[in-house]
Amino acid sequence: MTRPLINRRRFVTLAGAGTAAAFGIPAFLPRVGEAADTLKVGICEEYTGVYAAQAVNETRGFQMCVDAWNKRGGVLGRKIEMVKEDNQNDPGVGAQKAHKLIDQDKVVAILGTINSAVSLSVAGVTSTAGVLFIDTGGHSDNVTGASCHWNTFRTCHSTWMETHATGYSLAKRYGKKWYLITPDYAFGHALETGFKDVLSHIGGQIVGSALTPLGTTDFSSYLTKIADTKPDVVMVLVQGDDYTNCLKQMNQFGMLKKFPVGGPQVELEPLLSLPVEARGGYWGIEWYYKSEKTLGKGNTLAHAFVTDTIKRFGDPPTARNCFAYVSMDRLLTTIAETKSTDGVKLAHAIENTRFTSIFNGTAYYRKEDHQLMWPMWVAKIRPDGTPGDKNDLFDVTDIQAAEAVEQTVAEKEKVCHLGYP
Amino acid sequence: MFHELAPQLFNGLVLGAFYAIVAIGLSLIMNLTGTINMAHGSFMTLAGYLAYSLVLRGTSFWFALLAAPLIGVLVGVLVERTLVRPLYKREPFYSLLMTFGLSLMAEEAFRLIWGPNGVPFSPPPGLGSAVSLGFMSFPTFRIFIAVVLVVAIVALALFLTRTRFGLRLRAAVQDTEMIAALGTNTQVLYAVNFGLGIFLAGIAGVLAAGMLGLSPTSGNALLMPAFVTVIIGGMGSLFGSIVGGVLVGLVISMTTLFVPAASEVSMYVLMAIVLMVRPRGLFGEEGIFG
Repeated sequence: MTRPLINRRRFVTLAGAGTAAAFGIPAFLPRVGEAADTLKVGICEEYTGVYAAQAVNETRGFQMCVDAWNKRGGVLGRKIEMVKEDNQNDPGVGAQKAHKLIDQDKVVAILGTINSAVSLSVAGVTSTAGVLFIDTGGHSDNVTGASCHWNTFRTCHSTWMETHATGYSLAKRYGKKWYLITPDYAFGHALETGFKDVLSHIGGQIVGSALTPLGTTDFSSYLTKIADTKPDVVMVLVQGDDYTNCLKQMNQFGMLKKFPVGGPQVELEPLLSLPVEARGGYWGIEWYYKSEKTLGKGNTLAHAFVTDTIKRFGDPPTARNCFAYVSMDRLLTTIAETKSTDGVKLAHAIENTRFTSIFNGTAYYRKEDHQLMWPMWVAKIRPDGTPGDKNDLFDVTDIQAAEAVEQTVAEKEKVCHLGYP
Repeated sequence: MFHELAPQLFNGLVLGAFYAIVAIGLSLIMNLTGTINMAHGSFMTLAGYLAYSLVLRGTSFWFALLAAPLIGVLVGVLVERTLVRPLYKREPFYSLLMTFGLSLMAEEAFRLIWGPNGVPFSPPPGLGSAVSLGFMSFPTFRIFIAVVLVVAIVALALFLTRTRFGLRLRAAVQDTEMIAALGTNTQVLYAVNFGLGIFLAGIAGVLAAGMLGLSPTSGNALLMPAFVTVIIGGMGSLFGSIVGGVLVGLVISMTTLFVPAASEVSMYVLMAIVLMVRPRGLFGEEGIFG
């Protein structure tokens, strides 16, 4: 047999191109039908990369909402159709996909994103194109701060809200000397800024900080530095698969027995993939499927959402399902109420409109920066869950009002200029 | 300084052994058939998930550590016989695309079977803690990983140099037509060789699942360092893969200590330097494939 030719040069080319594509190419995603009378909504998510699990859950939330609306006849007499795109956890690809959704698919709005850097790039593209964008899951302050846009609304909490909802109580519980494990991109930097502000008010200090690249698999090199700094608490700011890897390795290095852990945010997705012995600490949470503190007493819509999600997908809904549902429902409600798909009209109509949904209390997207003002919660982790529900990992201890933990309107107006056309 | 350097050196060596074993699996398959197996990471993930399922059903970690890679081998040989084999006579680009497509399909299959979220998989209780080495604490499981990987590498070296089948494999790399003319069934050689590469990936996959997280994409995260390892060590050289792996591991660890922001890019810088100084890699044999 004649063996195919492959030399070093070809191997480098082929393996390099192939692996780059492997990390970048979109996962196979079925397209919904393209009937002309449908109202298309663009979904731009991180289906590949460290936030893939969260992206799937956000998509489930969108789907639940769209199906409910379509069951009622759609909006403006048209069925709603989602056009899904994988932004590959890459701001550049996110911008390309936003262009494609707007120019080719003619969507009326784009929803989604988890990585704050992607949120910012999609916000830039959509604002120029005059299309509404709801950032469901990118937390960095910039999105509703210095880089805010007239068309961009954010449903999840800002990093400022997360750090200020948790920082004071964690300092009270553990102490004021913190070691931070921070993801090295917009989201992580913003969290650090928030925590520095908290510490400046209480006289605390950051005794050490490890900036870890997004997608780090081996944290050992960072973890071995922690002990020398003798922190009161290790604040874990990384998320997604990075969170799982970090906590799992902290446990293996015996660090969870030496230092308490906590952080501004933990999500159910990575927590469920952690071994029981690596679960613990106090964390900020953004919604939870099994607490009246988060769902609201007697909130039948919220309880039905939880029941229906479990029935349909077999998994409990997470904060990601909630972000997506709330965002899509707000968009469709506003389209129905204004009878318009014009970006500017929709944006004005969403501002400051108070609404209830699948969480506890009333919320509104603040007019001055377009941040959704809704509560944040603090929870203690129950490593084993509760009898009969191994997924019931959060013991919600505290609820924080949005206005108490987010920057004031006056502070935001100094940095955020919406720039309506 | 020593108490800072020592842990990083240990971490670097364990990490390096990891990259080495994945790279050896890649090299084995590539050396004999010219197939650049882009699905190698998926076979690691598969073995991790299989081990998780076995442990969940009550088997011991030790049984899973052997059984999961072996089941992975069965799947691997099936893939080789049905999908890879028809492409042996074609340009390497065809098998690269095919295995790349396979890795995407595998990722979706993992999501369908085990869910989009990661799953918890722990080392056995005896290996779950850290031991004091005097100057530092180090995870027992990482020491165990280093031992297993060294044993696997030595066993492979003995297999390739001391057994008749191993010698035939090495001879086939040198000249397939001659070995076929001498009466060896090369198709069996290809299948066994592919299975051997997958077995090593499987061992690495189960160990990685215990040390890192286990999710549909976890294996692919280790694939790029393994490719870099092959290039640095030199194509065609299994010893080169070992040296390359250790070098990559040490460079990443040391960079993390001194310049954390450059830790991800450091292995590529190392690769660029090696390619500039010695284009065939440290122990590569230029032209071995054609």
